[in-house]
Amino acid sequence: MIKSKLSEFKSMQERCSNCSYCKWLPLDKVKSNRFAKNCPSSTYFNFNTYSARGRFQLALALVDGELEYNDTMTQVVHSCTGCGACDVSCKICRYNLEPLEHQIAFKQDAVSSGHVLPEQLKIINSLKNQKTMLSGEVKSSRTKWAEDLKIKNVLENKADILFFPGCKYSYNTQLRGLLKCMVKIMQDAGENFGYLGEADCCCASRAWQMGFADEFTDRANSNISVIESAGIKTIVTPCADCYHGFKRLYAELGLKVEVLHFVEYLDRIISEGKLKLNNTLDITVTYHDPCHLGRQGEAYEAWNGHEKKILNQVHTWEPRRPRYNGAKGIYDAPRRVIQAIPGVKLVEMERIREYSWCCGAGSGCSETLPVYSLATASERVAEARSTNAEILVTACPWCKSNFEADGTMKVIDITELVIASLEGGVL
Amino acid sequence: MKELSAAIYAELEAIVGKENISNDPCVLQTYRCQAAHSSAHYGPYDHLTPTPRAVLLPGSTKEVQDIILACNRHGLKYKASGTFWAAHGYIGSDYAIQLDMRRMDKIEIDPLNMIAIIEPYVCGAALQAETMKHSLTCNIPGCGASCTVLGNAAGWAGSGPMSIYTGNAYECILSMEWVLPNGEIIVTGSAGSGCGWFSGDGPGPSSRAILRSAMGTAGEMGVCTHMAVKLSPWHGPAVLDSYGDAPFYRAKLPENFRAYAIGFPTWKDWADANVLLWHTGINIIGHRQFSMFGRDIKGPMLNILTDPDKQLCDLPELMQDEEMINTNESLHREVYVVLAGTSEKDMLWKEKTLEKILEQTHGWKDKFMLDPEREKWLLLYLIRMGHKNLNFVLCGAYEGHFGFGGGNPYLAGEYLEEAMALKKEWEQKDDFLAAVGGDAALTNPSSWGGGGMQGWETFACYDPHDKVSIKKTCDYFTNVSDRWMKSKGFGGCFGKSNESCRKSDGYEYTQEEHNQMFSKMPDTTPYIYQWKVREAVNPNHLGSSYYATLDPNYKG
Repeated sequence: MIKSKLSEFKSMQERCSNCSYCKWLPLDKVKSNRFAKNCPSSTYFNFNTYSARGRFQLALALVDGELEYNDTMTQVVHSCTGCGACDVSCKICRYNLEPLEHQIAFKQDAVSSGHVLPEQLKIINSLKNQKTMLSGEVKSSRTKWAEDLKIKNVLENKADILFFPGCKYSYNTQLRGLLKCMVKIMQDAGENFGYLGEADCCCASRAWQMGFADEFTDRANSNISVIESAGIKTIVTPCADCYHGFKRLYAELGLKVEVLHFVEYLDRIISEGKLKLNNTLDITVTYHDPCHLGRQGEAYEAWNGHEKKILNQVHTWEPRRPRYNGAKGIYDAPRRVIQAIPGVKLVEMERIREYSWCCGAGSGCSETLPVYSLATASERVAEARSTNAEILVTACPWCKSNFEADGTMKVIDITELVIASLEGGVL
Repeated sequence: MKELSAAIYAELEAIVGKENISNDPCVLQTYRCQAAHSSAHYGPYDHLTPTPRAVLLPGSTKEVQDIILACNRHGLKYKASGTFWAAHGYIGSDYAIQLDMRRMDKIEIDPLNMIAIIEPYVCGAALQAETMKHSLTCNIPGCGASCTVLGNAAGWAGSGPMSIYTGNAYECILSMEWVLPNGEIIVTGSAGSGCGWFSGDGPGPSSRAILRSAMGTAGEMGVCTHMAVKLSPWHGPAVLDSYGDAPFYRAKLPENFRAYAIGFPTWKDWADANVLLWHTGINIIGHRQFSMFGRDIKGPMLNILTDPDKQLCDLPELMQDEEMINTNESLHREVYVVLAGTSEKDMLWKEKTLEKILEQTHGWKDKFMLDPEREKWLLLYLIRMGHKNLNFVLCGAYEGHFGFGGGNPYLAGEYLEEAMALKKEWEQKDDFLAAVGGDAALTNPSSWGGGGMQGWETFACYDPHDKVSIKKTCDYFTNVSDRWMKSKGFGGCFGKSNESCRKSDGYEYTQEEHNQMFSKMPDTTPYIYQWKVREAVNPNHLGSSYYATLDPNYKG
């Protein structure tokens, strides 16, 4: 749900059973002691307080008036990267708890009562004033990437597909080059597509991750109006956060368009024969599943129901509640794209797909709690190195930049791999 | 209430470092157990355990020792816990600190001697994953692979579905390192004499039984910081690989692994089969596991767990489905077994032996669970025990009740149906318990290695969000199941078996209260003996009341 009250979760807070499954990978998937944990915040800060269970218990005390916000609680609430790993592990066997939804509600409660981290205010101010969540960037330079490209403005010339690059690609000078390549791939595939021109703004989904529900909704509704006025049928974005925003959150706000991550688009045109990857890359890579493309990349399903007890005390939902447990996330498309490149060998890490370890950048943590965020990224890079892969590939610019900050392994966007094969280049 | 002074806090902080101690009220709140769940057999009480004065995360034996020495200096109680599954891991008094052992999570494997030396936070899944790399496996705690192996062995009962093969957790204990309640470090068994960790007894001092006691010390006898556990051969791959969508994860295992759900027409046949399973030793795993859901929803729950598109709201419809009704009937008296062959010939012999057992006991392999994909799910479930939060799946809380111990599998036919009919009657008479068809009784073919010991536990599922459900479940334990158990000469209700450990308000008993309680026992000797043990190693009485003692000088 886009916005909810913490008190509405009281039954879940009391029914969380303290089993601690939220701190581990799905236990069937544990392959070593070293990489058995799943939760960045409880792994870094160590106290139970930082687990989904701890947050259920804290929130219950808050709802019952036994505790009030203090600096620690504010940090606990906002240290959740919103990765959803706890949600997957919990819901292997629980059908009536929603840890991730609860954590977002907890953040919203903190924000609405003024308990935020200092850096979050800068980010939100940037969203309001410059229409980007990259504080320090300005709106006027957002579409510089498109200046030399023959790409149409969908508000001026009708197109079926909206190419939506997102803040990170738009402002980062290194990533801007990739946008040009993406545009060329779509042009070569003969797509009728364009971008939003000056109307292009942040999707704001990270604001939602951080608990700023109103700020998200304002921005999202503006974007939806623009997208609907352009008559767009499909949105293609290379950013996992934007993807999640459009596919799950905007859909809840009423946007009815097909949403594709660029890697899904690549997978589609490769299978249709529109993109041929002929050049061999003799390289071993491992792939990181971004949280918002993977386990949180499931499509939105409308639900407006309530709890219903059956068999006296078994609590369930009426009507059937959508079960977001990561099972239908986007995992196979990126792997098919990687394996479509001649010579590339894909080796898997231990924590993959719906039980992937987070990059640490989620919910703005790379800006608000940078030391913790970097430690989370380094944990993932260590896992990637343990596979003996030469390169860590991902499909999200936030993951990429956080991994690069670790500095111990080469990290690339999956599109770079494709381009290298297309151009016969060297990585 | 007595507060922890700044000076003592500073002393503790100097031991573990600033990052590893907290007295923030938010942190402390999350180290309280909601006793309505996972209360580990002292009843579903509607209280939180007391708030600790501080939470510490020790990182070494030395730090644990220094903490305990400081506690002794200042009369400060403490309790250590690994994975915090149940209430006995939490403190029970106001002036106490909580030790969270999660920084101590190392594993050292000695494959030649088939042992692993582990620290307190090593969970079952992690240890099994590491041991499998050496063609070995450990006993997974019956409470599931999320739980600490060391805590399960040192602090609690410790049986699980694999116990018939690996031995119960306490049978697997070899040498141990304990920081005693007085701060002294003792190393038991062979490691105590510097001979390695391979044996729990001699040539060093054999304090294993005293430190662990019969049911485990529940955090009483200081802190066990290292434990060597016995490992058993694993005839599968080095990595337990799996596939499928949650919760229908399935094992990728070779043909030398098979899992079956076997059913029987009578309890006599069921018991005969259990005895034959002991005698032949063909199964590495055996359990009446999925009965925990209840007799009327066993098949439907197996259906839900093996179909990612289904949910609990599908139960009513599935309960009317003919195939599910037949599955419930087929699995009325059942055991789930895993066979693992060391070779093709060995597997052939085990398969034939199982067929012969079924022939002699008129049993069958359940058709629904013979589906190859469901079999692979069953294999993974039973080998890893990675789904034990299913205990909470229906309502969010459960408590064991009834319960028959001892080595006699024939008890089931004599008493189980009567007890379960009584439970079903109450499920229908009122609405505080989940109505699952009475029988929600779990058991092992044997909770000891090799056979000969069987214990039953019946789940009662209630809603921890519903105070009426909690209260009435407590009353039901007292007035119905406890009375029935005592009327049959079984002692008390399993759900109340630790009633003497902690009061219903979450606090521990005073010595005076324990004296009053235990002086009325027919045989007071064990309690007086434990008093003497405690006086020897815990002179400042810094543990909790899980360790039952009677003052020999009590004149009540």
